[in-house]
Amino acid sequence: MLDAKVLTERSVTADRIKMSARDVQVHYGAKHALKDVSVDILDRTVTAFIGPSGCGKSTFLRCLNRMNDTVDIARVEGDIKLDGEDIYAPAIDPVQLRARVGMVFQKPNPFPKSIYDNVAYGPKIHGLASTKADLDGLVETALKRAALWNEVKDRLADPGTGLSGGQQQRLCIARAIATGPEVLLMDEPCSSLDPIATAQIEELIDDLRANFSVVIVTHSMQQAARVSQRTAFFHLGILVEYGDTPAIFTNPKDPRTESYITGRIG
Amino acid sequence: MTDSAGPAPAAHRDWNSPAYAANVARRRRGERVLKALGLTSIAIALGFLALMLASLVATGYQAFTQTHVTIDVAIDPAMIEADDLAKSNWRGMMGDTIETMFPDADRATRREIGDLLSDGAQYRVRDAVLADPSLVGQTLTIKVPVSDPFDQLHKGLVDRATPEENRRVTDVQIAAYDKLVAEDRIGSPLNWGIVGNADSRFPELAGLKGALVGTFWLLLTCFAISFPVGIGVAIYLEEFAPKNRLSDFIEVNINNLAAVPSVVFGLLALAVFLNWFGLPRGAPFVGGLTLALMSLPTIIIATRAALKAVPPSIREAALGVGASKQQVIFHHVLPLAMPGVMTGTIIALAGAIGETAPLLLIGMNAFITAVPDGAFSAATTLPTQIFIWADSPERGFVSRTSAAILILLAVLVVMNALAIYLRNRFERRW
Repeated sequence: MLDAKVLTERSVTADRIKMSARDVQVHYGAKHALKDVSVDILDRTVTAFIGPSGCGKSTFLRCLNRMNDTVDIARVEGDIKLDGEDIYAPAIDPVQLRARVGMVFQKPNPFPKSIYDNVAYGPKIHGLASTKADLDGLVETALKRAALWNEVKDRLADPGTGLSGGQQQRLCIARAIATGPEVLLMDEPCSSLDPIATAQIEELIDDLRANFSVVIVTHSMQQAARVSQRTAFFHLGILVEYGDTPAIFTNPKDPRTESYITGRIG
Repeated sequence: MTDSAGPAPAAHRDWNSPAYAANVARRRRGERVLKALGLTSIAIALGFLALMLASLVATGYQAFTQTHVTIDVAIDPAMIEADDLAKSNWRGMMGDTIETMFPDADRATRREIGDLLSDGAQYRVRDAVLADPSLVGQTLTIKVPVSDPFDQLHKGLVDRATPEENRRVTDVQIAAYDKLVAEDRIGSPLNWGIVGNADSRFPELAGLKGALVGTFWLLLTCFAISFPVGIGVAIYLEEFAPKNRLSDFIEVNINNLAAVPSVVFGLLALAVFLNWFGLPRGAPFVGGLTLALMSLPTIIIATRAALKAVPPSIREAALGVGASKQQVIFHHVLPLAMPGVMTGTIIALAGAIGETAPLLLIGMNAFITAVPDGAFSAATTLPTQIFIWADSPERGFVSRTSAAILILLAVLVVMNALAIYLRNRFERRW
């Protein structure tokens, strides 16, 4: 096996590292789902996780905001740091962590509430706005950053579930960034969207890079190539290769990466 | 990629062959039979429902009118107790009234005719005078109920051809009744007494007010206890309880409790609530506690199912923005589960409203003529009242029993309608 760590550190300068994972193991019951994964996630960069189904890329993503804590049979070992702070340390409140590391899911899942309430929910429960005007401002900013404001500004009281699929997903992105996260995790955010909505989301991801560190899990290698600067290839629970996106796609070091990219496995 | 290893495609099939046609015919016959069976079972169910309602209406409709007679009562100051109006000689005044109406009759005949009036007639007069003391010295024209045999006579349930000794009204009484009919003094207006009066030994005075109020307090107690406790238990078991042997054991027991015969809960209530805690016998509060125990398993099971049915994506969405477990449940999961919770609760309460056996054991089948003034005074409920009436020998209670059942069904229909309305309201919050 190629040492991913060596690859990782070659092109990364330590001061830009937002999150770092070392030797992460995940067990689902008896299944060893993720083996010895070490990755550095850079600040203000889009990092793509690619790999065939069941390779552990979503599992790893869910370790980064401790969503695996909510799965009874999941056991996470290893060391994951956010800005140098161990996020699995007992002193860390996973609820607060999830406000700092936001998440967007595979299927758009707006709350069955109004568009406004969807975005305002996070700031509300974390007490980020003291007045109604503050909250309005946060909602507007989040919707603008998610490139949805112009489409919904006149119907903020309408149900979020009444929007189109692509709009719903952008609403979910607005909801995730409304709490002011530092990292945004996206678990195949375009897999249930049509090509036009996908293009809009991809454009949005590129814009989000200015403010956030974005980690995106995707099945589509074209998407990874289009939106990301860094790409990690997972296979059978192992991080096979991690590096600059152009390098991964044009000059993969590992034969498995090459097979996947050329369509021979996966 | 072409799959050369797989089986070769079958040769061209003859879709018109007799064998295939037989196959199609068999399939269509199967579908027709299934449809016919379904329709038959629906028809049988509806038929029995119609039969039950028809028989209830046929026997019960006459209880919704009550024969009244209009009498002129002279409120004789000589018979009035000025100090305590209620203790005046009302019976005497009624006697005088009969004498005025039938001046030719002798004393024995007058007494016979006097049976025409309900025992409650004098209390109607009393209540009228108590409400308006200026009536003393005047003549009060008032409608009072006739006693049960005459109610039956008026409703055509007494056969005049029967020999006198075999019927409950004598020839003299029939003559008096006919005279009153001729004078246009007899009428049968709607019987508001059936919901406005409390229970009585006299069918013409008996009503369901006590039972309705008792049922109200009982259901209120039952709801107030079983709803919050049931939801609490369901949330704990579904969302917080670790999955181990203990929680499995609790779950199995809750499911079993739902199947325990209701009379067992009555015995438990008798032993614990009445004998040990010393709570009052026959009180709606105790009945409500007992039925709450019975309703809990239903509510818990329904609530757990509703919680489980909330899509996991909503939980993930809430967790993803940093909601705590408690916030996820109370802001998102429970509101979305509410329609299901309501349905379960209504089913449980609808079961509770018709429950009789456990209430008999805690003394809610006592003969009580006062409307209960709270959850702690002895009362009956609709089903126990039906039970009491069904046991009463007077002819008038036959139709009243059916009428009471119809009223119980009406209350159930209203409750269910309310439930559907509430459920739709909750569901409309997308």
